[in-house]
Amino acid sequence: MATEYGQGYAHRSERHHRLPAALRAPVEARSWREFGYVLLGLPIAIVLFTWTVTTVSLGAGLLVTFLGIPVLAAALAGCRGFGVLERARARGLLGVEVADPEPLRVAKPGALAWMGAMLKSGASWRHALYTLVQFPWAVFSFSVAVSFWTCGWALLTYPLWFWVFPAYAGEGGIQLYGDAHHSVYLDNPFEITVTALIGLVFTLATPWLVRALTTVDGLLVRGLLGPSRLSARVVELESDRGAVVDTAAADLRRIERDLHDGAQARLVALAMDLGLAKEKLREDPRAAARMVEEAHGEVKTALQELRDLARGIHPAVLTDRGLDAALSAVASRCTVPVRVEVDLPARPTPAIEGIAYFTVSELLQNVSKHSGARTASVDVWRSEDRLMLQVSDDGVGGADVSRGSGLAGLAARLDAVDGVLVVDSPAGGPTRVIAELPWRG
Amino acid sequence: MPWGDREIVEDRVRVVIAEDSVLLREGLTRLLTDRGHEVVAGVGDADALVKTIAELADQGELPDVVVADVRMPPTHTDEGVRAAVLLRRQHPGLGVLVLSQYVEERYATELLAGSSRGVGYLLKDRVADVREFVDAVVRVAEGGTALDPEVVAQLLGRSRKQDVLTGLTPREREVLGLMAEGRTNSAIARQLVVSDGAVEKHVSNIFLKLGLAPSDGDHRRVLAVLTYLNS
Repeated sequence: MATEYGQGYAHRSERHHRLPAALRAPVEARSWREFGYVLLGLPIAIVLFTWTVTTVSLGAGLLVTFLGIPVLAAALAGCRGFGVLERARARGLLGVEVADPEPLRVAKPGALAWMGAMLKSGASWRHALYTLVQFPWAVFSFSVAVSFWTCGWALLTYPLWFWVFPAYAGEGGIQLYGDAHHSVYLDNPFEITVTALIGLVFTLATPWLVRALTTVDGLLVRGLLGPSRLSARVVELESDRGAVVDTAAADLRRIERDLHDGAQARLVALAMDLGLAKEKLREDPRAAARMVEEAHGEVKTALQELRDLARGIHPAVLTDRGLDAALSAVASRCTVPVRVEVDLPARPTPAIEGIAYFTVSELLQNVSKHSGARTASVDVWRSEDRLMLQVSDDGVGGADVSRGSGLAGLAARLDAVDGVLVVDSPAGGPTRVIAELPWRG
Repeated sequence: MPWGDREIVEDRVRVVIAEDSVLLREGLTRLLTDRGHEVVAGVGDADALVKTIAELADQGELPDVVVADVRMPPTHTDEGVRAAVLLRRQHPGLGVLVLSQYVEERYATELLAGSSRGVGYLLKDRVADVREFVDAVVRVAEGGTALDPEVVAQLLGRSRKQDVLTGLTPREREVLGLMAEGRTNSAIARQLVVSDGAVEKHVSNIFLKLGLAPSDGDHRRVLAVLTYLNS
């Protein structure tokens, strides 16, 4: 039951133990931490509950005047502050890792904006709810845990202290039952042994009971003090958006550089050649002809470079005929023979098609540059709601996402559309890269 | 990169040009008339091209060849290819040379579907080599084939017959590529600076290795090679 929250400790208990887990539990450090959590829970809950009930009702009562709003905001701010402590307590004693909730989004500076943001934030109210819900639960779990624990140990150790009854109370032992006519005392060795055994059962059961109780605490902390699922998704999307913006900016820089170093430089050389040729035309027609010849060569190379550049931005055939057709040209530019198999029932949306195209394009460039392969193959197919791409080669292997920015950049791009990149490339090869994209048709 | 047959350059052909960029249309017209050919009409989009050809055919003045750009109004995608395929079906004797900013194996396959007679598919850049471009226009006008080396490279790369293709010597692969571009033996010999006899030997070796029946006509030979690569 507690395994989900106990993962932080799992590795510690991997050591070999002579005692079975059931007998070990009462004296385990983990059990003590959990018990400590429950013990601390009650006083903390009282403080938190009192705080929230007092301040929120005060704030609500004052809402008719303007004063209510700052009081309520302060109440919620306090709850958020307590949340930090509670998360730390859960982390330290239960091993429950809960991320901080979404931070306050204050649109503009100023106390008024801050108060508005505090009151509008769902996380603040969830924190307040936590202080209210956790109080009855803390009372309940404190009572149960403390009762079980004390009863258990008291009964278990009964053989050691039953003598206090005859010595000081004038009775044989614990009075199990008594009325005017007769009483039952736990005083003979059999009864004492049974009492101790019952105590043993309680003692052994208590850690598991406490674990069950703290599991609920873990759920409370996780559910009410952590980031909401929506906000977690927002954080993920924000980072994805960052990646997209970064790659877009990097692409623009690359295009600018390519234009500057390539076509633009060639056109300057061309203008120069033609200018010289114009001057030489009269006096040295032969030299002029040679320069025109050179200029002709320059302009053809410039055309080639511009074509490659434009194609790198977006291949027209991808829009017109889809992936299968567009990948032909990509495959033909690879330095090794490439087998291309595209098996799609329909065309995905242009965005997904574009990312798939550039993924294959980049992976084949890697094959050309680094793999030392003799052949390569590209497979594209659809698997339920995913578009699958596989590029494999029989080269030297050793490709790694963590090394080499190419694959890492590709992984980031795929990540931005909820895609996945898996690289299987043992040293010595072969290499297999699988990319998975969401299917949007 | 020469890919023309010098022998037929003197023939005067009648051309219709479809190209939406006025600059390029004028340039092509100047280039062709300068070489003694006749530009019958110049149009700016695919619909106008099909209409013009229909009118000319009605008057019994079907041109020898159409030179068409792939991307034209209204959608700027593949109008040129579709018009070319349509015209080839309507007028089997009409040569069609498609020019494009990029060449794509897929468009080539669509253009060549059925027959490689009088088909050309070239990168626009090739107009820079005036003589070879005009040679290609003439070749297509006379029922020959002119495929861009880049298209051929894609066809070779995409072919499922890689195991057989790797069995060819580098020289034979070169000859196969030039054949697929639509060149005659003598043009291949000139390009590779070898004798005609040497080329013939390579060609027969290639046909043997690919398991194709030897074929005399140049355009039928191109078709055989392309069909083989695409199958």
